[in-house]
Amino acid sequence: MARLLLLLPTTTYRTEAFVHAAHKLGVDLVCASERPSTLEELAPGTLLTLDFADPEGAAARVAEWSRGHPLDAVVGVDDLTTTVAAAIAHRLGLRANPVAAVAAARNKYQMRQCLAAAGVPVPRFRRLALKDDPFTAARGVAFPCVLKPLALSASRGVVRANTVDQFIAAFHRIGAILHRDDVGVSGEAAEYLLAEQFVPGLEVALEGLLVGGTLHTLALFDKPDPLDGPFFEETIYVTPSRLPQAIQRRITKVTAAACAALGLREGPVHAELRVNDDGPWVIEVAARSIGGLCSRTLRFGTGMSLEELILRHALGWTIDSLDRERRPAGVMMIPIPRAGRLQAVHGQEPAAAVEGIEEVAITAHLGQELMPLPEGWQYLGFIFARAETPEAVEKALREAHAHLHFDIA
Amino acid sequence: MTTESTGKNGDLKSRVQDLIDTMINPAVAGHGGYVELIDVQENRVYLQMGGGCQGCGAADVTLKAGIERLLKEEIPEIAEVLDTTDHAAGSNPYYTPGKA
Repeated sequence: MARLLLLLPTTTYRTEAFVHAAHKLGVDLVCASERPSTLEELAPGTLLTLDFADPEGAAARVAEWSRGHPLDAVVGVDDLTTTVAAAIAHRLGLRANPVAAVAAARNKYQMRQCLAAAGVPVPRFRRLALKDDPFTAARGVAFPCVLKPLALSASRGVVRANTVDQFIAAFHRIGAILHRDDVGVSGEAAEYLLAEQFVPGLEVALEGLLVGGTLHTLALFDKPDPLDGPFFEETIYVTPSRLPQAIQRRITKVTAAACAALGLREGPVHAELRVNDDGPWVIEVAARSIGGLCSRTLRFGTGMSLEELILRHALGWTIDSLDRERRPAGVMMIPIPRAGRLQAVHGQEPAAAVEGIEEVAITAHLGQELMPLPEGWQYLGFIFARAETPEAVEKALREAHAHLHFDIA
Repeated sequence: MTTESTGKNGDLKSRVQDLIDTMINPAVAGHGGYVELIDVQENRVYLQMGGGCQGCGAADVTLKAGIERLLKEEIPEIAEVLDTTDHAAGSNPYYTPGKA
């Protein structure tokens, strides 16, 4: 039986989907997290604790452990674990991306440098030290601009500034976010931020799989809600895209060029691009799959999940089809409207009854302390829809969301 | 779900219960959690998780890489361990997930 190591941060939404996919494939599953499982001492052959902030240390630990438990694949399920997974795979000679490529994709400044050097369209950018005077830093930036941390994800800490005053406020706000207890960044990512040109236009997300350096587009999602700031909260994703085929081909081509520039060759890719009259601009390329529970929108071949597809690729198993099912699908990440404690959720039944809605998953628990963007990093839940057209999917998601009401105090 | 608590199945159920009581629950109590045996049918064990385990982001890891592995090692005839927990109703999960 093949043995698979999954790197699962204790705070990821992705655990259930990956564990179920591994179970479906019948592999011998080993799970590693950054904090110990209560059962680790009783099940040392299947539960591990690794320091995800120390990829080489984690790789050495797994190399030692795997002498008694040979591994066939290692998969990091989200941003926090991609570099560690690459380091472990490199040490064990397993299929994965080069460590340097994944590390570059994890650092927005390094990523912009790589892509710009390769001629991939990216916003103009500058790295700024948090110890510097923001007023002076603002003088070297054109407005409007976007300030963002180097290594956080899910739009956390991303703020648009139209003026010097807004720039200074955003600069201080991001500095405070990077010092929060629930933000685990260190080194360069804790000392710098990125300021870049605001690129107007539509935003899309490309979900892909790299196989031997070739990018296969699994799905292209439109994001129909405008993302113009001041914060960049993601809400609705709908696939297939309604953009003209010629533009979709350009998006794929630019994303493939970005992967090549970074040196990414194997495994999942989640890219975010802006599209305007000048064409596609790469905002982000991450060596991971789509976050949250959003992958529930995707099914491939004869019902294969995205996670199953990713695990099959990592294991070197055959994949019958990379074609997504034809029916349009979408997800809405339910935003947190304000800070406070979740007291009650209303309207789930009528929301679930809206035509086209498959599921309303409330992931925040009653009593949970909620924090909206840019400080926050969670969602109230997810709404999933399938319908005959992308327009009908979007309509169903909006209608279902309108039924939901959250008491936050 | 009907409960068969006699004969071979009843014996299996009591062995599972014993392992839950002596090995699993003392361990998951470290995170404020507990596990209840709901039933054993055709070598499938049905469990419910509570306390810190209910709604926990790592519940599937605890179940599949921990509990299922332990039970199968001790009782090889067990085919699968299934979770019947309503995790959405968990009000005090040990780990709360976020998007990445």
